[in-house]
This record gives sequence, C-alpha cells and structure tokens, in this order.
Amino acid sequence: MKVPVTIRLVALTVGATAFYTYVGQLVPQKEVQPPVVTEIAEDVTTEQMVEIGRQIFNGKGICSTCHTIGRSGALRFPDLDGVATRAADRVSGLGQVEYLAQSLYQPNAFIVPGFNPGMPQINRPPVDLSDAEIKAVIAYLQTLGGEATMTMDTPLRYQAGGEGAQAAQAADGAGGGDSAETTEGDAP
Amino acid sequence: MSTKRIVVLILAGAIALVAAAEGARWLEQRLAYRSPVAVEQQQPTPRDQAVEERQARELEEAKSRPYEEAEYREFPVIGSRTAIWVVAQVKLLFAAFVLAVPMFALIIELIGYWSKDDRYDRLAYEFTSLLSPAFAMTAAFGGVLTFMLIILYPKFTNYLMSVFSPTFLPYVLLLFAEAALFYTYYYSWGKIGKRVHLTLGVMLNLVGTGIMFIANAWLTFMMTPAGISEKGAVLSVWDAVHNYTWMPINIHRFIANIAFGGSIAAAYAAYQFLQAKTDAERAHYDWMGYVANLVAVAGFLPLPFAGYWLASEIYAYSQTLGLTMMGGAFSWLFIIQAVLIGNLFLAINYYLWLGMGRVGDAAARRSKALVPVLLGLITLCFAVWATPRSIIATVEETQAMGGSFHPLLGFLGVMSAKNTAVNIMILATFVSFVLYRRTGRTPTVGWARLGTMVQTGILLLAGGTVLFFGIYGYFVPAEVRIKFSIPQVLSVLLAMTLVTVIDVVLLRSARKEGETRWGDMPERSQYVLIFLAVTFTWLMGLMGYLRSGLRQHWHVYGVIRDTSPGAYTPTLGYATKVVSVTVLLFFLLIGFIFWLSALAHREKPGEAAEVDEGGGEAEQTGELAS
Repeated sequence: MKVPVTIRLVALTVGATAFYTYVGQLVPQKEVQPPVVTEIAEDVTTEQMVEIGRQIFNGKGICSTCHTIGRSGALRFPDLDGVATRAADRVSGLGQVEYLAQSLYQPNAFIVPGFNPGMPQINRPPVDLSDAEIKAVIAYLQTLGGEATMTMDTPLRYQAGGEGAQAAQAADGAGGGDSAETTEGDAP
Repeated sequence: MSTKRIVVLILAGAIALVAAAEGARWLEQRLAYRSPVAVEQQQPTPRDQAVEERQARELEEAKSRPYEEAEYREFPVIGSRTAIWVVAQVKLLFAAFVLAVPMFALIIELIGYWSKDDRYDRLAYEFTSLLSPAFAMTAAFGGVLTFMLIILYPKFTNYLMSVFSPTFLPYVLLLFAEAALFYTYYYSWGKIGKRVHLTLGVMLNLVGTGIMFIANAWLTFMMTPAGISEKGAVLSVWDAVHNYTWMPINIHRFIANIAFGGSIAAAYAAYQFLQAKTDAERAHYDWMGYVANLVAVAGFLPLPFAGYWLASEIYAYSQTLGLTMMGGAFSWLFIIQAVLIGNLFLAINYYLWLGMGRVGDAAARRSKALVPVLLGLITLCFAVWATPRSIIATVEETQAMGGSFHPLLGFLGVMSAKNTAVNIMILATFVSFVLYRRTGRTPTVGWARLGTMVQTGILLLAGGTVLFFGIYGYFVPAEVRIKFSIPQVLSVLLAMTLVTVIDVVLLRSARKEGETRWGDMPERSQYVLIFLAVTFTWLMGLMGYLRSGLRQHWHVYGVIRDTSPGAYTPTLGYATKVVSVTVLLFFLLIGFIFWLSALAHREKPGEAAEVDEGGGEAEQTGELAS
C-alpha cells in the first residue's frame, strides 16, 4: 500500500522537528536565574568573605565567563592566577586592594598590556554588584597568589560615600553597554 | 477530496455541535442541584447565601481599592514569556515570507520582461499568489502579538511606546501602503502596462523593507539600547533607532528572509510536484522548485558573513553581551546551529547532485565524478563545526583527557577551525553549483581549457587562503586572530564572483550533450526541498531565540530589568521544544495556504501544460542562475 503524500509530508516535518528537538536535549541543560543581591552581614569574617566572593566570581559576577585561572597561551582576557601578587605593584601609587578595586569599579583606567578593553564596570548594570559584594570579590581575588586581608570595614575610595564614588558611577563606555570604544585599558 | 464532500462534512460537523450543546444543556438541567422546596417557592439555601455574601464582600473590597497599574499579567498554563515567544516567532516567520516573496517575484518578473519569456512571468505570478493568505495571516498574528504585549507586559510595552512613539505613525502608514501596493500588484497582473506593474513591484519591496527596518529598531533597541539616559529617559529617538545592531540586523534579516522565503516557495513547488497528475505539471513544479531553491541558496551563502558583522557589533557594544553569546549560557546553542547548518549544506548539495540527472545519466557522469570528494569535504567540515570546545564527560574521562577539553578534538572547537569549516563548505557548495551548470554542456570557445584551469586555480587559491588563516589563527593572540575571518570571507566571495563571471562567458556558446528534462527528478528530491524548508524555519526560530534570549533578565539590556516570573533563561532543551512548537504551528498554517493555492491552480492546468517538457528551459535557467 502506498502511503499518501500528505501523510509522508507530515511525517517528514514532524520527524525533522523531533530530531532537532532531540539534539537540543543532548547539550548541557542549564537554567540561568536572574541574580539576586547577596545579603552580606557587617560582621562576616574574611574567610567567609572569600567564600562569598568565590561564589559571586563564578555566578552573579560572571567573571569566569571571560577570566581564567591557571591558563596560558592565546587568551582573550588576563588570566587571574597570581593576580594578588601582581596587583600590589602593577600601577604606581596604588596598593593591592586599591588596584583591584579600581579594576572592578573603573576597569578602563588601566589595561594590561597585550589585551583590549572590554570589561564592564562591575558596580553598574548589567552586572551591578553592590559595594559589599565587590569587597567579597576582592577578598577572593587576594587569595589568588596571596592571602586575604579584606574585611567589610576596609574602605574603598569608589564605594558609596567615598571620594571616588562619583567617578565610579559615571559610565566610561559608549552606548549604554560596556563598550570597547575607550582609549584606555582593561584590568587586572 | 471533492468540494461536495467538504460541504457535507462541514454541515455534519455543525449538526453534531448543535446536538452536543443541546445535550449538555439538557444534562445540566437534569443534574443541577435543586432545593427540596418546589421551584416556584424556592428559598435561598445556606450555600446560596454564602455565595451572595462573598460576592458582596468582594465588590466592597474592589470599590475601596485604589487603581494600580499592573506591571505584568500571567498567561495561563505556559506563562506569559512562552506565550509571547510562540506568537512573536510565528508572526515573524509569516512576515519574513511576506517580505521575501515579493523580492524574488519581482526579480523573476524582470527576467521574464527582459527575456520576453512568459513562463517567468507566470512563475512570478504563481509565487505572488501565495502571498495573499500569508499576508492576512501575518496581520492576524501581528494583532494578536500587539494585544498580548499590552495585556501581559503593560508597563514595558508602555515604555517602548514612549521611546518609539514617533515611529508608529510612519509604521502604520507604511502598512497601509504595503497592503494597497500588494493587492494592486497582484490583481493588476497582466492588466496594466508591464513597466507600471514592475514599478509597483519595486515600490512594494521598498515599503516592505521600510516596515522591517522600523520594527527592527524596536527589537534591536532592547538588545543594544542607545539614545536614552541611564534611567531610561529618551534623549534622542534617532539614536535609539540607529543603535549598534540596527543596521546589521536589517541586512541579516533582509538576506535571511530571501533564503527562508525561497525555501518555503520551493517547498510549495515540491508539494505541488508530489501531487501532480501529469508530466506537464511535474515539469512545471520541478522548474519552480529549482528556481525557488536557487533563490534560497543565493540568500543562504552570504548569510554567515552578515552574521559575523552582527556578532562583531554585539561585541563592540558590550563584551559581556558578546561573551554571554559565545562563551556563556548560549555557547552550546551554536553546536545545535552547526547541526542545522551542516544538514542544510548536505541537503542543498544533494539536491544539486540529483538535478544533474535531468540531462541524462550519461551526460551527468562527468559532473558526478567529483561528488564523492565534495561529500567527503562537506561531511568533514560539518564534523569540525559540530565539535564542541569542551566535552560533557565523566570525572574519569575528564581526568584521562587532562581537563574538559579533548587533547586533540578540543582544538577543533575554537573559532579558527569553525570559520575555516564554514568557508570550505560554502566553497564546496559553490563547486557543486558550477558542476550542475556545466552538466551536459561542453564549452566551445578556444580558451575553454585555460578558462577551466584558471577557475580551478582560483578555487584552490581561495581554499588555501581559508586554510592558511585558519591554521595561522592558532599561533597568534586573540586580538589578531579575530581579524582573520575578514580575509577568509573576502577570498571566498572574490573566488565565487570571478569563477561565475568566467563561467558565464565560457558557456555562452557551449555545445549541449543532452536536453534538460524538467520533471525527470526522483521523488526524494522533492522531500529534500521540504526538509530544507523545515530546517531553515527551525534555524530561524533557534537564532531568534538567541537574539532575544541574549538579554537574559533584561527587557532593555542594562536599563529596564525584567522582574516577571519568566525572567530566567530557560534550558536549551526547553528552548528547542518551544522552537519546535512554533515550527509545527507555522507549517500547519502554511500547509493550509499551500492547500488553498493548490485548489486555485489546479483549476487551470493549461498554464502548467505549456512548460516544455523536452527541455528548452535550460538556457533560461542558466541565465537566471548566472
């Protein structure tokens, strides 16, 4: 018995669609939830800040989308292994914490030689970390080649009420995004 | 199925519906709760009193509540986001079809006008006849989408309207103009002067493109907003329109619409071919399918280059957005895309190889000699493109590999390898097309051998250039490597242009070894055309999800946050299911349109019968192809 053309066409359409749907089930399945503000108590210890910072680094902060730890070769953005050591004397006049804070609040102020600008201001959308969350991230970064010393009381010049807060709130990209249309560079 | 049967079926259905409704009413009267007291002396039961009191309480509460503007409303069962997604995607597919068909109908009509061959004119008319029901479907889905946006996302829709209000009046006026032009273009076919008719066709296309450009401004603004303050206040409407991705999307959609529209029109021809009763009908629809598929391929080949431009603009706007696309949540989507595009390349080439048989097996033998090489090349490139950078593996496997990247295959997962693979696939498909054109034709010009050698040299040089930059890309920093796609693309485009120009001159007075027998194609070739249409549509749905989903939890990226319950980014598995639903819904509706068109055209078999079965169109088709 010859199968009617219409039935064959329906079978082909449904079959091809089902195949592509099946391919879609074979790739990793990850549901990405909107980030929530991490409530960080004022009295958390440095060790707790490191752990919170590590979670933000790999999650809400989306740092690990671009930055690697312990990789070499042709990289698109700087590898962060040993960044705590390099941060201490990378920019004259800035200590380790100041440099790390600058690289998060004003990433285009200094670009690591060999790389292009591209990092967004972490305290502004779309990443939009709070001052407390940024302190936790800095605490985590300090452990990459060094020892964490950050506390929630450590002052940052860019945080709300700090002398650099206004600069940190100003957009240094174009078009509303973290544009590469800047003349200066990308940290850390 | 005859018309009489359909009428009888409709009547029987209506009678059954009325009978069912009456039956339900009778049952409801029989089974409804009744007070033990006689109906005429019925007293309120405790339940009735409680219901009455609750209603009164709710009314009082409603009166005392101040008016609040809703931010979101929920769509039942599937949620607002999925509901909008399905409706928008189906609307977009119809809109793409409606915008694309007039483009190639006009081109085919122009060829008919220049060549004074009525068959092209009739073909263009038949393509245009598909538009009328599709046009109505686009408008209906557009209306549904607008209402759903207003109902489900009132606050955000209001914001978009406040930004783009100056664009709405031109948009509506263009819609009216398009409707007027389309119906005039269609119904005046053959009844007014040809030049005036062609001018109408040009105007129809210009207006359609204008509509698309305006709508693209709204959606690209959501992804790469411009012309507004950090708080979302409008600073410049023109800047909001002319945002980073506006023009790349305009160009990308323009080309993609041609490819998509061509593939759907080819599917229509295939459907008609498979239903054909006579050889003349088969010949006509084989030719129609060939022309439509040619249009689809012509649009498909430059599409990756338009995609590069779009991606580079996304990166230029925001590295975060670009990296989310290529290296973050959506990176695995490109593996699914590779499977789709690999299938498209294989199917397009297979159709061309089957088409070589139209001139007879003997004449096609020489052209078919290269087919195994091309098949091997395309399959290899397909495999490279579908190779992921990181592999899902068990802990033991990961340890054995020394990381999540396979020590050897991991190198094929980067852009250097993938750019190389897609460019080689494009070149291989182009070679298939050149071979198809040459099937059954032997050049007679004195420099035929030299010309063929030069063509071969150009193609090899282009392939070598693509390979060189692909391999060299592994040894340079990212900022240098990213620029290598430009010489790769340019070498392929240049090679295709030069080889085509040489081929046209070379075959001008070619000797024919066999006539093209339109309709002499195996049935499976027509299923290939339908498979291509399904794959193109699915690909459009997938890439539409990428473009829209890239914003993640933002209505307007970085400015207006999505706080609705559907603000999360779903798994790729869920996304592919939704894409499949939209594809099946679209094909259900377009199948209905095909059926309607088939009814209309089957009344006039005389038109199709005029196609010369014994050939005679090979020249014209060659002309079209060139």
